[in-house]
Amino acid sequence: MTQTQIIAARLALLAAILAAWALLPKYGVLDPRLLPPLGDVLAMLGKQLARSQVQEAIGVTALEVVVAFVIAVPIGAAIGVAAAEFEYFGQIFKPMLFYVFSVPKSIFLPMFILIFGIGFPQKVAYAAFSTVFIVIMSATAAVESVKADHVLVARSCGATKAQILWRIYVPSMMPVLLETLRISMIFNFTGVMIAEMYASRTGIGHLIANWGENFQMPELFAGVIMLSVVAICFNEAVRLLEVRVSKWRT
Amino acid sequence: MRRPSPSAVRWMLLAALLLLWELMPQTKIVPELFLPSLSKTLTVLWKDRVEYAENLLVTLYEVGVAMLIACGAGILVGALVGGISVLRNLMLPVFSSLYAVPIVILYPIFTAWFGIGSESKIAFAGIYGFFPVMLSTAAGIRTIDPQYMLAARSMGATLPQQIVRVIIPASIPTVLSGLRLGGALTIIGVVVSEMLTASAGIGYLVTRYRTILDSPHVFAAILMILLLSILFDLLARAVERRTLVWQTAGRRVPSAGAATSTTRMPAPAPV
Amino acid sequence: MTAIEVDRLSHIYAGAEGGVPALEDISMTVEAGKFVVIVGPSGCGKTSLLMMLAGLRHQSTGTILCDGRPITDPDPSRVGVVFQEASLFPWLTALDNTEFPLALRGTPRDERRRRAEDMLNLVGLQGFGARFPHELSGGMKQRVSIARGLVQDPPVLLMDEPFAALDEQTRMTMGHELLRIWSKTRKTVVFITHSLTEAVYLADEVLVMSARPGRIVDRIAIDLPRPRTYEMMATDTFGKLRERIWQQIRKPEGTLS
Repeated sequence: MTQTQIIAARLALLAAILAAWALLPKYGVLDPRLLPPLGDVLAMLGKQLARSQVQEAIGVTALEVVVAFVIAVPIGAAIGVAAAEFEYFGQIFKPMLFYVFSVPKSIFLPMFILIFGIGFPQKVAYAAFSTVFIVIMSATAAVESVKADHVLVARSCGATKAQILWRIYVPSMMPVLLETLRISMIFNFTGVMIAEMYASRTGIGHLIANWGENFQMPELFAGVIMLSVVAICFNEAVRLLEVRVSKWRT
Repeated sequence: MRRPSPSAVRWMLLAALLLLWELMPQTKIVPELFLPSLSKTLTVLWKDRVEYAENLLVTLYEVGVAMLIACGAGILVGALVGGISVLRNLMLPVFSSLYAVPIVILYPIFTAWFGIGSESKIAFAGIYGFFPVMLSTAAGIRTIDPQYMLAARSMGATLPQQIVRVIIPASIPTVLSGLRLGGALTIIGVVVSEMLTASAGIGYLVTRYRTILDSPHVFAAILMILLLSILFDLLARAVERRTLVWQTAGRRVPSAGAATSTTRMPAPAPV
Repeated sequence: MTAIEVDRLSHIYAGAEGGVPALEDISMTVEAGKFVVIVGPSGCGKTSLLMMLAGLRHQSTGTILCDGRPITDPDPSRVGVVFQEASLFPWLTALDNTEFPLALRGTPRDERRRRAEDMLNLVGLQGFGARFPHELSGGMKQRVSIARGLVQDPPVLLMDEPFAALDEQTRMTMGHELLRIWSKTRKTVVFITHSLTEAVYLADEVLVMSARPGRIVDRIAIDLPRPRTYEMMATDTFGKLRERIWQQIRKPEGTLS
């Protein structure tokens, strides 16, 4: 199949799914109370976006996502780089990280609530906590993706420490760094959502949980669509950037 | 003086952690509401063991069914997507785009559809575990060394023979690591959904005791979940080791390149 | 004129019990414009020696003079280095890779473009400047490495098994190409290899090293006429020189048992 055919097929698939969603509930094949037709959901999305309460919730959620990210990434990166650069430290901590990964971070959510109460600090703290491990892991992988040979070559050309950092470390690590950014944002976003759905008075996650409890299906689906579109768009944008900076990779 | 071996340091750290867990609340450095001492947590766990055991059974039942669904569907779809190039081109990018969506926002839909009983947890955790199993099965099949297939064909293997004797054994390592990850995610999915809305299960206990600020009971439940997921991990690794004795001899890692972004990232477990 | 002078160089690796002697009492002089090849068994420390000549590693005792001045740190204006395979930066094009040492010096853009292009022409890669390393064959990559080693116009070029990863035919071609480039630029070359044929084919002088500790056990002048041709490999002289090196290399292992 050629590239255009693949894209056409994908679009056709998407169109078919959307058409099914629009038509099947409308003509009673599926229960519209359980799956409201796509048209109703989109109309509801427009209506919700115009409400100041929803706009406020979006603002709160966005702020939480950004602050948690800004906290988690530098901390995780520092620990990750240390684990890669200092061998002994790495030998101790790397196997522990694998265990941490198989443990659900969400079970610690009650601790955050007990300590921080319900509100902005708790949600940010939990989201940062649930993100920091993947950042550590990826930062380690990023540093380890720098080849010792390349550093040696640069030194033989008389490169200074700063030049090695800028001309060898940064370009070597760039693809992994962007991937890190992307994946950790997924984790971070999920963390904020769980915290908001679990116990919160504001934020999109709180609204979604509420709509679900009150069986307001059009509102619920509108919220899910909005969040999915935002998440997918961010993800694809960073992926595009990844492809651009890693075209030198075979 | 020689530095102690890394694993010794790890055990010491664990011991120190447990010790701190016991001492910090005892000495009132940390209020008991935030962190009840280890001994108190264990006492509570033992005193209410019947309640915890009953709820553990509910959780285990949900995890079991969800794992069956996640692994069964994951291997099936993964094999199709990995083996058939049309499907692969069509579906893989779609799946990796969908991976960006926090699946947890779908959970309210499941409770609306299936109620707050076990069904909604099974559906949610099933989907949660499905993706890694599917992706690693697809990667496992895609990254089989073409030399193996050539060799098998040169010896006159038919297509079914190729599947049974080459494709399946050669993709087992990747599939198993996918199952381990998928299983871990299934446990996580069940626990998270029980914490959000439920009427039974260990996750439900966490939430119920939290709302009445009964920290020792909350931590008893947390401890059980921790043990559950670590036990599962140990078990899955043991199974992997036993199945893959042949792999340690040659230490064949699935050839790099083709599988990078799906296999390189170690653990998509965003909760 | 002497290009490189190594005087009683020894090196001991810090290890568990007091350290492992890696290089012992190495003394050698290389006249300017000569092509010297170092051969020896694995682990004889020939790569370590080369790293020290490049200023990338420090010896325990002894001195290295290049152009009459000691080498203590990398100095690309005096010594260029060509490494084993895969030492090109994959994120830079062939031209950018060649320019790299100049870019570090802050050479103006136009000048470094021009000099890098000249070098790529010299190594026979005109028109390939915009390619990334993964778009080049193994032989072409090593040509870029040579261009990068030469771009600062250092009097000395050090080469650490540059053709080890190439297939036999490419390796022969590259050896021949290297001699052509060398005869044009008249650099002093110190070349490390495992291949005895390559050693005899390229060298004015072959230094044979022994392992554990690394010492120079023989110096063999290769008096085959230049330019060298493939036909020479079939001659008696060539075979005898090759045989003599081989005897020297296997000797230490024989005495051990």
